[in-house]
Amino acid sequence: MLSISGMLAQTSPEFSVNRNYLSIKRDFDESADLRVFKGQITEAEVSSATILLGKVVKEKTSIRFIPLVPFGWNQEYTVAYNNIMDHFVINFPDSYEYLKIEAVYPSGRWVPTNILKWYIKFSRPINETNLYDHIQFTRSPGDTITKAILPLENALVNDHGTLLTLWIEPGRQKRDLIPNKQLGPVFENGKFYGLAILKDLKDNNGVPMQQDFTHIFQTVPPDRKKLDLNSWEVLPPENDRDDLVILFHESMDYGSTMNGLTIINAEKKEITGDWQLIDNESISLFTPKNPWSKGNYKVLLDATIEDLAGNNLNKLFDSKVNDTIPSSRYSSSYFALGFSIE
Amino acid sequence: MKTLVTFILALILSFFGSTVQADSSLKANFITGDPGITSINSMTFGPENILFIGDSKSAQIVAIDVSAHPKVDNSEVKIDLLDKLIADMLGTKIDQVQITDMAVNPINDNIYLSVHHSSGIPVLLRVENNTLKQVTLDNISHSKATISDPINKDAKDKWDRELRKWAVADMKYSSGKILVSGLSNKEFASTFRSIDFPFTKKQDYGSLEIYHAAHGKYETHAPIKTFIPTKIKGNSHILAGYTCTPLVVFAMDKIKPGEHNKGRTVAELGSGNSPIDIVEIENGGKRYLLIANSNRPLMKMEFDDLEAYEGSLTTPVVKKGAAAGVAYVNLPYVNVRQLDKFQGNGFLIIKREANGNLALKKGNSWWLEK
Repeated sequence: MLSISGMLAQTSPEFSVNRNYLSIKRDFDESADLRVFKGQITEAEVSSATILLGKVVKEKTSIRFIPLVPFGWNQEYTVAYNNIMDHFVINFPDSYEYLKIEAVYPSGRWVPTNILKWYIKFSRPINETNLYDHIQFTRSPGDTITKAILPLENALVNDHGTLLTLWIEPGRQKRDLIPNKQLGPVFENGKFYGLAILKDLKDNNGVPMQQDFTHIFQTVPPDRKKLDLNSWEVLPPENDRDDLVILFHESMDYGSTMNGLTIINAEKKEITGDWQLIDNESISLFTPKNPWSKGNYKVLLDATIEDLAGNNLNKLFDSKVNDTIPSSRYSSSYFALGFSIE
Repeated sequence: MKTLVTFILALILSFFGSTVQADSSLKANFITGDPGITSINSMTFGPENILFIGDSKSAQIVAIDVSAHPKVDNSEVKIDLLDKLIADMLGTKIDQVQITDMAVNPINDNIYLSVHHSSGIPVLLRVENNTLKQVTLDNISHSKATISDPINKDAKDKWDRELRKWAVADMKYSSGKILVSGLSNKEFASTFRSIDFPFTKKQDYGSLEIYHAAHGKYETHAPIKTFIPTKIKGNSHILAGYTCTPLVVFAMDKIKPGEHNKGRTVAELGSGNSPIDIVEIENGGKRYLLIANSNRPLMKMEFDDLEAYEGSLTTPVVKKGAAAGVAYVNLPYVNVRQLDKFQGNGFLIIKREANGNLALKKGNSWWLEK
């Protein structure tokens, strides 16, 4: 009988297991089933226990079970194959890079009360299930603001699983909507608040953070001004390796700004390079991949670039109602700022 | 306080402009293989055993053919400790799994559940003999369409595209179209689109934008949380539920490309609440709406009342949490997390019971009798 209790993903001539598969020396009784169960299952329980989903692959000398989702660390499993029945655990690795928060946007200390979106950048992919249970806005430690975050069944997380967008409940941030009238805005002017991410939040391996994270900010009066293109400054590069600098003179929404800028040359060809937002997201830097050539350029600005309160180049987030909004709002989807390099 | 909830719809392309294809041709474009599904956010059945899957991560809608699944007897369906069963099947902990949707095939009452695991792996399951079987998705007859960004359809696909996410909120099939509502992280704007089915290379994306205003002074964009295509007085409508919780009807025949159309708010279902699912059920010659909510019991509304209500809610909802508009009754089903039509005139739910048990079970059709 093969004894594999308490094995640490080790290899023996007859058995090996890691998070992605379990392999056993093949029994040439072709009818033999390989079944894996969660927990310690006894022989008597096998017939009624829930079988793990996965694929069984028969190889030349071994039989392999590939679980549908990776085996969990420190989780007991039972394997049954022919007359063999035993348990195994894959121990949690000694060195593990725990989930951390790398950045929060807006990163600055002062935030308008009518802030609309927050972004949280994680060091590794997060567990999206039950995500909102672990994120809160607080007035003081333990004093949580209820109904502050728009709960989405499917969280807005980027493809790498590392950047989460949080919407502050828009119904409360907009003046005169029912939630705004009844619950008031989420934040009041001139107060300190915390964005708290509880350590229960897990990464995609199911491993929680090591400690709670709190980002403290202070509120300033609401921003109800449309973005003003004329107040923005483009500082052209002084030599062919310099960064292009755009000064917004206010903190911008991280997601829409990072996503909404494009540089084209006189031939309307896009210039490739990297964008960064610095100085509390009030300055955008563009580092071109290749040296600049002499000539005229344009910075194309997506009309949906927003400030922290959701105001963009076309409109205010909570503007006056206009029942006959012109359809031309779709045609002005870009604005442009020109510069030249001599 | 005077509260006016106004919805304005801006339709770029006609929703009901194309000819409905004969059913026999619906699967003509299907191919067998791996559609590359990386998330299952929403599911809905069309005709001919076609299950539509809304995949936000891969920005696609996938139609899969589940004809190969024989009808199973779900007449006595009941699964207790559903989350534990799913966690056991995946060898994981309960807090690592999330049921993202449930869909019942109207042809045979086969029940499908979509699940996300923390590792990011989506799982499709089918109910059989009060337990669950996996539906593998790597070699399946399917057809798919990419979801593009309708507002920025001219924009280049940029290097930092990863920042732009679009989450499918709800999806329904209606007369040769798949209708999809969702929310983007880029702009607080509801994107509601219509995609021809069968999918073609040249796709018409209808874009429907909704403004949700209060007091007649301020406007906002309102994402539709859940909706159904339906008939009101014989005419095609969309009936949509929005967070905090106006219920709004949009007449489809009045929507013209490039024009702005107002929806009619027919009910306010109480703030601090969000609709989860809406289904329409006909029983004994009467049509009913059932609405599952995040923070209210299951609601029943009669179509007779809905059709009789010709106005639009413009009166204030003064009392905190109060409802207004078309009358409804609360049914004794709380914490209903998933809802679909079942056995023709009944309904199927997943609900968290008072003792913590997450149960998949039939609703009692008695509640849908006059």
